[in-house]
Amino acid sequence: MDWLLIIVLLPLLAAAAVGFVPGSQLRTIRGITLGASGLALLGALIAFCSFKVGGGLQFETKWTWVESLGLHFHLAADGINIGIILMGAIVAFAAACCADDITHRMKEFHILLNLMIGGILGAFASMDLFFFYFFHELALVPTFIMIGVWGRGANRNYATYKITLYLSLGALLALIGLIGVYVQTGAESFSIPDLIAKVRETPIDEAAQQWIFPLLMFGFGILVSLWPFHTWAPLGYGAAPTATAMLHAGVLKKFGLYGLIRVAIPMAPAGAQNWLGVLAWLALANLLYCGLVAVRQKDLNQLIGNSSVAHMGFIFLGIASLNVIGLTGAVLVMIAHGLLAALAFGLSGHLYRQTGSLDMSRMGGLLRQMPLAGTALLMALLAGCGLPGFANFAGEVTIFFAAWLAGLKTITVIAAWSALVIGGLYMMRAIRNILHGPRGDDWAKASDVNPLIATALGLLLAALMVFGFAPGLLTKGIESEVTKIVRLAKPAADASEAQATEVAVR
Amino acid sequence: MNIAAWLILLLPLFSAVVIGLGAFRSRKVSAAISVGAVVGSFLLTLLLIRAGGELRTSVTWLEFEGLQIDIGLQIDTLSKLMLCVVTGIGGLIHIFSLGYMKEDMDFSRYFAFLSLFVFSMIGIVLADNFVMMFIFWELVGISSYLLIGFWFDKSSAADAAKKAFLTNRVGDFGFLIGILMVWAALGSVGFADLSNALSGETAAVTGLAGFLIFCGAMGKSAQFPLHVWLPDAMEGPTPVSALIHAATMVAAGVYMLCRVFFLIDGTWAMEAIAWIGGLTSLMAALMAVQQDDIKRILAYSTLSQLGYMVMAVGLGSPDAAMFHLSTHASFKALLFLGAGSVIVALHHEQDIWKMGGLRDRMPRTYWTFFIGTMALCGVPLFSGFFSKEAIIDVALQSNLLLFLVAVFVALLTTFYMTRLFIVAFMGEPRSAQAKRAKESPALMTVPLLVLAVPSVLAGYYNAHAPNPLVLCASLVMLVFGMLVANTVYSGAKADPLPARFVWLAKAMRGRFWFDEMYQWLIDRVQENLAKLAEAIDRRVIAGLMVRGTHGTTELAGRVLRLTQTGNLKAYAFWFAIGMAALLVFTLS
Repeated sequence: MDWLLIIVLLPLLAAAAVGFVPGSQLRTIRGITLGASGLALLGALIAFCSFKVGGGLQFETKWTWVESLGLHFHLAADGINIGIILMGAIVAFAAACCADDITHRMKEFHILLNLMIGGILGAFASMDLFFFYFFHELALVPTFIMIGVWGRGANRNYATYKITLYLSLGALLALIGLIGVYVQTGAESFSIPDLIAKVRETPIDEAAQQWIFPLLMFGFGILVSLWPFHTWAPLGYGAAPTATAMLHAGVLKKFGLYGLIRVAIPMAPAGAQNWLGVLAWLALANLLYCGLVAVRQKDLNQLIGNSSVAHMGFIFLGIASLNVIGLTGAVLVMIAHGLLAALAFGLSGHLYRQTGSLDMSRMGGLLRQMPLAGTALLMALLAGCGLPGFANFAGEVTIFFAAWLAGLKTITVIAAWSALVIGGLYMMRAIRNILHGPRGDDWAKASDVNPLIATALGLLLAALMVFGFAPGLLTKGIESEVTKIVRLAKPAADASEAQATEVAVR
Repeated sequence: MNIAAWLILLLPLFSAVVIGLGAFRSRKVSAAISVGAVVGSFLLTLLLIRAGGELRTSVTWLEFEGLQIDIGLQIDTLSKLMLCVVTGIGGLIHIFSLGYMKEDMDFSRYFAFLSLFVFSMIGIVLADNFVMMFIFWELVGISSYLLIGFWFDKSSAADAAKKAFLTNRVGDFGFLIGILMVWAALGSVGFADLSNALSGETAAVTGLAGFLIFCGAMGKSAQFPLHVWLPDAMEGPTPVSALIHAATMVAAGVYMLCRVFFLIDGTWAMEAIAWIGGLTSLMAALMAVQQDDIKRILAYSTLSQLGYMVMAVGLGSPDAAMFHLSTHASFKALLFLGAGSVIVALHHEQDIWKMGGLRDRMPRTYWTFFIGTMALCGVPLFSGFFSKEAIIDVALQSNLLLFLVAVFVALLTTFYMTRLFIVAFMGEPRSAQAKRAKESPALMTVPLLVLAVPSVLAGYYNAHAPNPLVLCASLVMLVFGMLVANTVYSGAKADPLPARFVWLAKAMRGRFWFDEMYQWLIDRVQENLAKLAEAIDRRVIAGLMVRGTHGTTELAGRVLRLTQTGNLKAYAFWFAIGMAALLVFTLS
């Protein structure tokens, strides 16, 4: 079955369908959106469960579009993106559930929401460079509009302007890099597997790699809020509507990381060798510096935004390690963080609806006031400081091992301090201020989450814990694919590293 | 037998999950599941002990080339002893809690947390590798956080929980780095593999790795300089203090050191461990002398006794440490639960100067508390006597200075415990509550009576004939301490020491101002760093890169602003141009 095609098409069809429904039919619009994303989730779940580890590309759909250019509409899943697609589908459904706070111009919002979901799932399912990029833009543009029109707070316009500026710049740099890849390989195809096959025989000229890789690294990096290009993220998420923040912070942001692993490293391995050292230090800046900034935040959304930027540091560090353990850990954290970010923004959205403020100093005692939302927030914040039992821990600890193995010892030590102590500090402060202590005065009338949102949050939490208890569900597939990438990136180092491991094991 | 081992671990988890998912609606069902789970684990432990032998069983959690992380259970003499302590004493504490928490509105939540805690603790005990131990280490951290902050509406409890968690996290940081170092040096995280790897090459692991691993124990076992969380943690319900701060969590550090003793043995870390243990035991005993809160006295006493155990490990005798750990677990749990019984009878009054005369009013609590005190002071033939002798003996043989410290701590221990006992139980009642105090119900006194048995007898399973010098020294200290405390406090209305030793008493009461020093350090370093980062973020990065209120930045912003309209058509236009450029570029 072409599960991926179904998963990608459903939201796009839903967007079209919503377009034909009169704007007054609120229930129909909600129904279409929820139905499409729910069915997409079901499809993703079936695909994930029937996925065969080590079975190469699966659930393929390949239509030739422009023969002469080698343009194909090519959807397929391997060990790396199958987990991301499942995560994306879960987050998409959860975001659709949490989108009932939009009452103004609801029809337009839902069209954009469905477009964004379709774009996100398409980007991660595409094996063709053109559609890979196209679907990303298809999801990105609605993001800007949603923040601009349905955003919140006095800073909304500035936030929209800033996020648009940054992300367009990042996307542009990445585009130049991708064009560079296409031109330099000389492969008459946009297909990523074809390109990889091509560079395996004749690698891209080393001098060209030296400018292609940094273009991709910074281009994709800006999309993922790599330090020092991170300031758009907390600001943008603070202003974004709940569903938009969940989808962007959760899934769309991972596009840049996915691009680094899927395209940048295999295409420009020599460039990667040169530049990943820089990336490791920038990753550390994400972890340490943004963690410190998070400590100072008084607004819940700013805190989640900054901590989310800090968590990107783990993934960058895993990628910079450039070994099987590190890349696997990076993908694992991508998935874990996607679920977690969606959960956190979903909850903050619920809190915002109660009083129109997320000022933590005025909160307190919400665990008593709203037991369901409070418990979910407690678990989300604990998962955010790397508690075992949640998928984040499995990924983070894997990355520490990988970075140590790669010889990035100083960075690992400081990263561990940032993760355990600074991460613990801001999360504990948040719990203390929001959930514990006597109840804040403004919150007497606040109510708990409704069953729909509770389902969405429960789903996210359940996924976090399933992958936390059994990370092997994800890592086996990821490992088999990233092994190929690492071999491609370090063919010479491969033998010596295997030897080193052997020595270590002995 | 494998199934039994897994059940020991999983029963409490099952209990926590079932209560969390819905059984919490019924108080009775929740309590029954929770108590049933821990008692079940205890019975299965006894079954394993009866069966004898060692056992290893594992499932893979994460697997890579060169890094395999298992969830594996290791049943041997060491873990069996610890399992007995955790599930046995833990079980009694569960039963005591039935009475103690009877009135609490969150009765079910309490039992869910207790089960979660027991699950995490059993995980540490059974772990057969470093990463699994670290996982459960963190879980113990979080479940103790939940229990200490159980009454989270109270600001002081919420703060204490936060402090405990964060202080532990500092230790865990060292622990994690230590694990990475060991793995990098020896290529495995499994204890059995590591032990094999070590036997080939000598001293492959540096003292630094050993010391970093010890940092984890420093956090959990509240050793100097990470001891500050434990006294505050008395904000939790009293049975929690008995569970966490006597029998289990704080013992986890010592247990871990014994488990990985083969790694640290012979490195310079040993010396450091011994001195930190000795220093902690001395400092905590001094602080205990001037506390007035019954639970805090016991908390400092726990710190001090843990210092003994850590010192014993550092001096190369994990056996003595585990011996004292097991006897201490029973009599300290007894003392904490006894304190709990007193606190309930006095309607949550914890100041010993508002007690007095409880001997006749609460006879069962009185007698069991008496036994606990005797055991802690090391009166001959009580359990604490044998285990403490063993540690002092080890000190005498390897480090004279630490021997003197240990003996002096024994004196202080006798002094502050006699003080507590006389002031709280003897003389006349010093408050209205004390006058009206009544004995607690059987649900609470029966666990006390049961715990009194091992408090007396637990020493005999490992008793050796004491070294005469050690025996003399400790007996002299015992008698001297009791006499002095008796003279000072018998019939006293208030503590006479502060008037006589102004500065010393002040320092002891102020816990040598460690909390203030740390607070100062955090404010100066951490907060300033965070402020700096935020200022850079706001002014420099955000300012220079986007806000652009000056010159070229502003200009560039304006130009770019024209293109960034938020208008879908404009974007579509730019996108089309981009694609066209791409096509032209590639076709030419």
